[in-house]
Amino acid sequence: MTASVQLQDVTFGYHAAHPVLRQISLAVERGTFLAIVGPNGAGKSTLINLLAGVLKPRSGTLSIDGADIQSYRQPELARKVAVVRQEFIPTFAFSVAETVMMARTPYFGQLGFERQSDHRIVTEAMELTDTSQFAARPLGSLSGGERQRVFIARALAQDTPILLLDEPTSFLDLRHQVGIYDLLKSIQQDKGRTIISITHDINLAAQYCDQVLLLLPCPVDSSSRAAAPGLPGPAHYRMGPPSEVFTPERIREAFGVGVFSAPVGRETVILPLGRLARDADRTDPRSAPRENKP
Amino acid sequence: MPRLLSPKILFLRIAAAALLLFLTMLLCSLVGTEEISLRTALTGSADALSPNPDFEILMHVRVPRIILAAIVGAALAGAGVTFQAVLRNPLADPYILGISSGAGLGAMLAVISGVNWTLWGRSPIAVFAFAGALGTVWLVWMIGRVTGKFHVTGLLLAGVVVNACFSAVIMFLTSIAKSQDVYATIFWLMGNMNEEDFFVLWAGAGAVGAGLVALFFISPQLNAISFGATDAQSIGIDVRRTQFLAFAISAFITAVAVSLSGLIGFVGLIVPHAVRLVLGPDHRQLLPLSSLVGAMFLVAADTVARVVVAPAQLPVGVITAMVGGPFFLILLMRYNKKVGWLT
Amino acid sequence: MRKWWFLCVFLVLWHLLGYALARRSGPAQWTDAKPDRSGAQRIVSVAPNLTELLYALDLDEAIVGVTLDSDYPPAATEKAKVGTFWQPSIEAIIACKPDLVVTLAFQQHKSLVARLRRMGYDCLTTDIWTVDDLFAGIEALGRATAREAQAEQLIAGITAKTRRLREILQDQDRPRVLWVVQREPLRVAGQNTFINELIELAGGQNAIGPTLHKYPPIGAEQVIAADVQVIIEPTMVKGDPSRQRDQALAHWHRLPTVPAVADGRIYVIDGDVVSRLGPRLYQGIETIAQCLHPDVLGE
Repeated sequence: MTASVQLQDVTFGYHAAHPVLRQISLAVERGTFLAIVGPNGAGKSTLINLLAGVLKPRSGTLSIDGADIQSYRQPELARKVAVVRQEFIPTFAFSVAETVMMARTPYFGQLGFERQSDHRIVTEAMELTDTSQFAARPLGSLSGGERQRVFIARALAQDTPILLLDEPTSFLDLRHQVGIYDLLKSIQQDKGRTIISITHDINLAAQYCDQVLLLLPCPVDSSSRAAAPGLPGPAHYRMGPPSEVFTPERIREAFGVGVFSAPVGRETVILPLGRLARDADRTDPRSAPRENKP
Repeated sequence: MPRLLSPKILFLRIAAAALLLFLTMLLCSLVGTEEISLRTALTGSADALSPNPDFEILMHVRVPRIILAAIVGAALAGAGVTFQAVLRNPLADPYILGISSGAGLGAMLAVISGVNWTLWGRSPIAVFAFAGALGTVWLVWMIGRVTGKFHVTGLLLAGVVVNACFSAVIMFLTSIAKSQDVYATIFWLMGNMNEEDFFVLWAGAGAVGAGLVALFFISPQLNAISFGATDAQSIGIDVRRTQFLAFAISAFITAVAVSLSGLIGFVGLIVPHAVRLVLGPDHRQLLPLSSLVGAMFLVAADTVARVVVAPAQLPVGVITAMVGGPFFLILLMRYNKKVGWLT
Repeated sequence: MRKWWFLCVFLVLWHLLGYALARRSGPAQWTDAKPDRSGAQRIVSVAPNLTELLYALDLDEAIVGVTLDSDYPPAATEKAKVGTFWQPSIEAIIACKPDLVVTLAFQQHKSLVARLRRMGYDCLTTDIWTVDDLFAGIEALGRATAREAQAEQLIAGITAKTRRLREILQDQDRPRVLWVVQREPLRVAGQNTFINELIELAGGQNAIGPTLHKYPPIGAEQVIAADVQVIIEPTMVKGDPSRQRDQALAHWHRLPTVPAVADGRIYVIDGDVVSRLGPRLYQGIETIAQCLHPDVLGE
């Protein structure tokens, strides 16, 4: 079975001299829930844009459902991949319902109007994201979090096998954070969709995601071996199930913070602790900075 | 599904607006500097020896002029809606990409060169202004594309640069031209509604009408593009094609409007806003209704311009500006109160 | 894709249909003046100098419409108005039911004529830019209105008087004249204007050499270099010429080295008489001549 998304030695940089992503090779199987985590500037959003077809890799191949992404025309690609980016307020005051319906534009009839099937899909998408109550309201009148749910609903309405999300829960309250993750998980399980989501919440990712891609900033000097001891594979990224990727050492290496970790149920909870945190003395020694090692 | 546009509602609204337009045109044809009576016009006899002036004035002066105003108003409003959508800028008007200075330069060159041939009975000024308008948009498009794929800012900047250059050339020509040429050009550019002959009106209506229908065809894509090019692309819109079609068609119908009647401002700017205020930003509705309202507005404005300081005539652009200015003030005040209709 | 094809096809058919309809209703009437003009009974004049000419040709009864600025002779102000010289009102013209409309030849009037002719109205366009044009125009008007005799008489009268004036002045020097059309910024009449012709007929010469513009803007330097002996300003607005003269004197006071200023030869004359090429041509020339040669002709 071909992987949903496959990268082979993909390199990309906004300027030729400074690659943001260097020789990334990975495969995301169909129906996987993948979390992308990493410090700011590591290239997470860039990777999403590559997967969405907005950016072109400088070298290497990127395949969607077995075919090179460059071979897709835009409307065809939009039937495979939907993207949820940061919410924003558009120039003109479109309502929530109009915004979500916009995802169905390629399917409209000859006169440019939606069909019954489009209505059904949009209604379902809005119910799943708990945005039906806002249907008639202009986007600008919602809170950031509510707007984010509308954009998620729009991506859902596109009805694609692959869903890309760029920090979808950053503005949401706890209830809605959990709600969105439950929704994404149910889509994955019930409909076999592939979900790739950038997130900063490593604990929720551990609870819901099958795979994690930890992305580090690309080293400036490509010849340096800036690998922490004992870290297999290329220094720039690491992919695997949460239990393998979310270890105190890797967290320290990637984010530069000490953590308190403890097993909770099937997964381990990782709690970042700073110097002045109340439980700073409970910091896991494996994640402590080397200078302070006794 | 509440509040979404359906074909039936759209059709009803278009029909209502069209009816209103027809009534406006009818009413305005009875208003003018001369008192005419409808009965005399319709029942009086007309022959070479004793022409019926009421009939003449009604049918040969007013009706063609009113039809012309409707065509130009519809074209400008429709182009305004489109430019505002593609440039994602509510302050865009049909002249924003240099059409005004291009048409002005064309008109000036026509008058100065003393060229006399006509095309289909259109004066050389009209033909040159049309060519100037289209040529300028093409130039701006070429320059703007250099800045990148979908870059809207690049286009706007290119428009500003071209406008500046052409205005300089116009100023130079003005300084060396004969004063009556200068006056003639300025007067023509200020906006004038004259009766045109049948074929010109027919062809103009056809061109503008077809352009507006074509823009209606891409209205769903315009909706998506007004969110942003990358956003629209992710949904599956062919952004390049939509942008190109939108610019080409809008520029064309604006050029037609300018060649028919000079530069009339504010119609393309405020009519889209007014309609959007009442009916919302869905372009499938905004486009046809703005065009109809634009037609109505210009017909009314032209009638006022003809009558208010009779027997002299104000350029119709004066009336549109006098309505447009205060309208914008009100817009600004509402925006400040954050009623939320703009953003 | 289908809808685009439909649209294109429709557009082509629409234009063909329109063309067919236009042909059917007959060719556009670009008629030139009809040959039979024996009695133009209802004439509309769209320029003040044309109005004056019509009156001079004994056509006062036939005139049914004039522009607002046709104020001479005073009887003209009683006639129905058809807008202004710059913006004639086509509706008002039609309402006068004219059988002849006389116009000048610049852009505004040319487009008016095109529109009127399309509606089947008879129009006469006179191209009056110079004194010779004026005579040709008078002849054309005479022919069009069956007043050839009066036209000839008018021309003969003007010609005779100007000839006599030339004889009187033939031994006089020609003073250098600066004809000020606008004071700030300074614009004067150049050599390529009918004003220049009037100046020469009045026994003077233009102080300014040949220029690119007809009415060039010039600087104070050039005024001094031109050694101007007489400054003439036509009245700009209807009003008291003496008031304008006071303003002129105050203004020119700044250049005391100019001979015209030193000698106090600054004149303000009636603008209408000299700027309208019409039947009062000789009066204009005479007024100018009186400014230039006061000793010979008396004030």
